[in-house]
Amino acid sequence: MDYPTVFGIIGLAALIHASFQLSVSMVTLLSGHSLGSKARSNHTMALVGAFFAGVVVMTMLSVSFLAYLGEQLFRHGVPQLVWSVVAGLSMGLGVAVWAFYYRRGKSGTSLWLPRTMARFLSERTKATANTAESFSLGIASVLAEGIFIVAPASAAALAMIHLPAPLQLAGMVLYTAIASLGILLVIMLIGSGHKLSHIQRWREENKRFLQFAAGSALLVLGFYVYVNEVVAAAALARGGM
Amino acid sequence: MSHSVDVVKRGGKRPTEAYSRKKLEASVYAACLSVRSLDGHAKQTAAQVADAIEAWMKNKSEITSTDIRRQASKALSKLHPDAAYLYQHHRVIL
Repeated sequence: MDYPTVFGIIGLAALIHASFQLSVSMVTLLSGHSLGSKARSNHTMALVGAFFAGVVVMTMLSVSFLAYLGEQLFRHGVPQLVWSVVAGLSMGLGVAVWAFYYRRGKSGTSLWLPRTMARFLSERTKATANTAESFSLGIASVLAEGIFIVAPASAAALAMIHLPAPLQLAGMVLYTAIASLGILLVIMLIGSGHKLSHIQRWREENKRFLQFAAGSALLVLGFYVYVNEVVAAAALARGGM
Repeated sequence: MSHSVDVVKRGGKRPTEAYSRKKLEASVYAACLSVRSLDGHAKQTAAQVADAIEAWMKNKSEITSTDIRRQASKALSKLHPDAAYLYQHHRVIL
């Protein structure tokens, strides 16, 4: 696999990760409750910053864990079967995102999460008053969305292990940076004094587009990985290309 | 308030409790602060919303928390549309 292909897969996978909304929803809720409880602006930004740090750390840990696992299991190259599984997972999750990422018939930005879990996360977010709790909420938000994140993170991790060690680190940083862009943007908007209602209204008005884009990008990623790593590799092996 | 009103919470899933103006004002006040209203303005808006709710529930002995939220949103949307939006939607963000 050449470098442009590797970084292309990492970039696309990270963009898909960035389009998932649980962390953004939780940071919106967290800052809303912090501002609503008359907390100083500095305290609100400290909470939101700690949340962001939790998201960044967990994202980096997830992708580095998957890359380490891939490196240990597939020392002589990733088998086509594994690429097929990742491609299938991506396409399946793409359809799942189209079908039920946001709850149907609900106003707001209600996500697919089971309601008991959503209530728990919501209550915890509202009750968060210190940065350590906020940091762990950031971690929890990435874990809770693991079922969707697993496909892009696996594709990026398997692509990453084709790189030499220093570039693997660069790939990991690139993935984490792109995957955290959405939440960083929201935090910057909150920090610069934008009203939460405007941010939330924008999210609600554009949720169907975000859902369509995330689902489609997962399908594209799955299709690309399948063609590039399974079909093309099989054709090359038979001397057909 | 001259008479006490019972509030049925979440369709009866949680115990019924007496209406509390303080509680209603606190929730509206928090919604106003969330959209960066000034403290005095937030307090004044919360008091106006509570007045509107108390006028609406005159002659009622029992109301639901959903009714209160709906009526408060309606009153708040006239006074502070941004705060009303968050007040209405804070349960459907996640």
